[in-house]
Amino acid sequence: MSRWPIFSRYADLVLLAILLALVPAFAAGSPYYLRLATLAVVYMGWTVAFNLIFGHTKQLFLCVGALAGLAAYVTAVLSQQLQLSPWITIPIGVAAAAGLGALFSYVSVLRGLGVIFVGIVTLAFSLIFQNLVLGLRQFTNGETGLVTRGLGFALLEHPLAAYYLFIVALTLALVVYSFVMGSRMGFAFRALSDDELTAELSGIDVTVCKVIAAALGSAIIGMGGTLYGFYNGIISPGLFSFANVDIPVLISLLLGGMRTRLGPVIGAAVFAVIEEFVRPFGQLNVLVDGLLLIVLFIAFREGLVVNVRKALGRTAMLWPTWLPALAPDDMSNARPSGKMSPRAE
Amino acid sequence: MIVRVEGVHASYGPALVLRDVSLGVSPSEAVAVIGPNGAGKTTLLRTIIGMIRPTQGRISYDGQVCNGLRAFETARLGMVYVPAERELFSGMTVLENLELGSYRNFRNMPERLSFVFELFPHLEERRQQFASTLSGGEQQMLAIGRALMGCPKVLLLDEPSTGLAPKTVAELYRQLARLKTAGLTMIITEQQVPLALSLTDRAYVLEQGSIRLSGKSADLVGNPEIKAAYLGVT
Amino acid sequence: MTATLFDGIVQGLQLSLLAAGITLIYGLGGVLNLAHGQFAVLGGVAAKLLLDRGAHPMLAGISGIVAAGLFGLLVDRSLLLPAYRYRGEERLLLGLILTLGLSFVIDGYLNYVFSDFSLTLSLPIASVQIAGIPMRTAGLMTSLIAVMVFLALFAFLRWTLLGKTIRSIIENEVGAELCGIDPVRTRTIIVGLATMMAGLAGIAQGLFSSLGTEMGPGFTILGLLVAVVGGVRSINGALVAGVFLGIVNAFASRYIGAYVAFIILLATAMATILLRPSGLLARFT
Repeated sequence: MSRWPIFSRYADLVLLAILLALVPAFAAGSPYYLRLATLAVVYMGWTVAFNLIFGHTKQLFLCVGALAGLAAYVTAVLSQQLQLSPWITIPIGVAAAAGLGALFSYVSVLRGLGVIFVGIVTLAFSLIFQNLVLGLRQFTNGETGLVTRGLGFALLEHPLAAYYLFIVALTLALVVYSFVMGSRMGFAFRALSDDELTAELSGIDVTVCKVIAAALGSAIIGMGGTLYGFYNGIISPGLFSFANVDIPVLISLLLGGMRTRLGPVIGAAVFAVIEEFVRPFGQLNVLVDGLLLIVLFIAFREGLVVNVRKALGRTAMLWPTWLPALAPDDMSNARPSGKMSPRAE
Repeated sequence: MIVRVEGVHASYGPALVLRDVSLGVSPSEAVAVIGPNGAGKTTLLRTIIGMIRPTQGRISYDGQVCNGLRAFETARLGMVYVPAERELFSGMTVLENLELGSYRNFRNMPERLSFVFELFPHLEERRQQFASTLSGGEQQMLAIGRALMGCPKVLLLDEPSTGLAPKTVAELYRQLARLKTAGLTMIITEQQVPLALSLTDRAYVLEQGSIRLSGKSADLVGNPEIKAAYLGVT
Repeated sequence: MTATLFDGIVQGLQLSLLAAGITLIYGLGGVLNLAHGQFAVLGGVAAKLLLDRGAHPMLAGISGIVAAGLFGLLVDRSLLLPAYRYRGEERLLLGLILTLGLSFVIDGYLNYVFSDFSLTLSLPIASVQIAGIPMRTAGLMTSLIAVMVFLALFAFLRWTLLGKTIRSIIENEVGAELCGIDPVRTRTIIVGLATMMAGLAGIAQGLFSSLGTEMGPGFTILGLLVAVVGGVRSINGALVAGVFLGIVNAFASRYIGAYVAFIILLATAMATILLRPSGLLARFT
């Protein structure tokens, strides 16, 4: 496609990073909007991870918030109680999240749990996590929350620097995602998400694929969680609740388009904007959220990215050939709905 | 003609599976559709009863066009499909499966039940057993029995011999022959060509989505191409 | 200790009512109704509105249940139509999102309009003694009603033609269509039935403690958990799982403590799902 294959594959990520980096200029120095943008980037990262876990390997992990919270609390508690530097505690927190995610995945595959079951089990875990944090008051400070300011991650206490750090983290996550999806494992993921039994019969080790996807995704989630924990200055169980994290992430992913590269990012961005518009409605904003959810899903069934692609596809001839962002990440979204696998006649 | 298929095209997603297929079945006739794997036999039957909507062409049943009808509507009109997968209610008993088969004419249920039991005595023995506990052959008989419970005018059978032992297949076809003599119209797709040709009056050969050959079954048995391709005789 | 057992059964039956509704809707429509808890709340709200206008409690209760059922019918024939156009996993996902959106809409509306809402019904006799054990009449009454509802449901499913039709659709929708059964019409009836059961559960909540408009999501989550533990396609399973988890919760609350009790409940649910993924009564629908 071009003379610099590596460049063309990551070109859109670089573009994205630049675009995001320019946002503070529009924030006009308002700390409120900068914080909004930062939060949006954090959620983008979580949505990318969820895309990996659910979009590509069909594991409905309804515990994104809990995993992020787990990493955040582990890191914060260790930093506070043992006076350890974040350089040590953050990897531990991330490892905890990754390990737990991998465990859920492994057990689910072992027990042959279907999508709903995985969803319910992880949902149960989300609720357990909430109660655990509240119950282990002596470590976590319960509902009052644990202060993370001053625990050693000074960079994140500076709003603008924090924003750019999160952009770097997001780009890193996307690079990892692209790398994995471009590799043989990514190919296996595509086969898996299409037809798991056939994939298994073709020699793909479904267990390994799912567990790795879960571990990787959970690691990214944990990373986001710990960094967010430090950035926020204080962590509390409500921050990582199902309603606060999992629902926006789910909506963002479906809005942007599952199994696409930039879908999660765009979805999260659009969702953040929508939330802002809905805020002035006060108590009714939940109602508006619901209406939007319904309307958007009926209108944009496959997610924004696919629909935009289709719209742009008609103007494809005008676009420069080195812009790979419009190339489909996998063909599954091109499949007509109500799939039927052609059976032997 | 009780069933008429005219110029039908059908697709599975982006792939065109049936191209310009036309066939007809007269009342009380038994017609076979034979062909290799992937030819489109199952798609054809599914299109006829409405599980798949044809992209072009017309399907008529008993004089009425029925392209737009759903599978349950054609079933109620008297054209019943027995898929290769059988689609039984595995958690329900043999008796319950059969009862549901006569959903559209529940008043005649007892008579139809004795008719089906007389045809397939094995089913009567196992009437209280769960469908999932039956053997392959018995499940096929149950699927056909269930279809018969609704007093169908036309029966569409998709590869009834699949996965059955030769003795069971022979028994099954004996009963199908009885049904034929009783006047039931049938369309049967089969991979086991000699069986299909022996039971039916006429046959169509479907290859890669198009009808390649058609004619009286008796004639096709002697046809050298058929013999080479399907009967393994050179 | 029998008092705790009784409490557990009472709560458990309420959970079973919710779970059975979710199981029915999933079995017949292939949609997991994330707004189910809101139907329970709606039933209570409708009943309270009528009570406030001086209606007889019995009438108000029944009207509440019917209202929940009617609303369920409405939703099935309107909101869920886009989901029903697809099959299998796509339908499940779209249905999930649509019902999630619906739950937000109902929650937001109710919390906004009825911000001080509380439904508390009280019976003339607070408690009776049966075989020397004091029991709250409210609990007794609701369990009796729940048991009757379940018995009626089982009899209906087992012996009537419509009941068998429903079971057949849950078993195998394609097979049912081939028998001439119209899944769409049957499904709508069942959604109405399921939401009525949810409405009953909501009113029951008002009977033995109090119902608030914000309880919707809690009901849904509990109902989902119980439904899945019972085997998401089995109504018997929903009944057994509900009572089982209700008893576990009652004992854990009584002897250990509320926070931990909830964790134990969740952990039990998780463990049961992991040990018996196809549901408690996998073999018997």
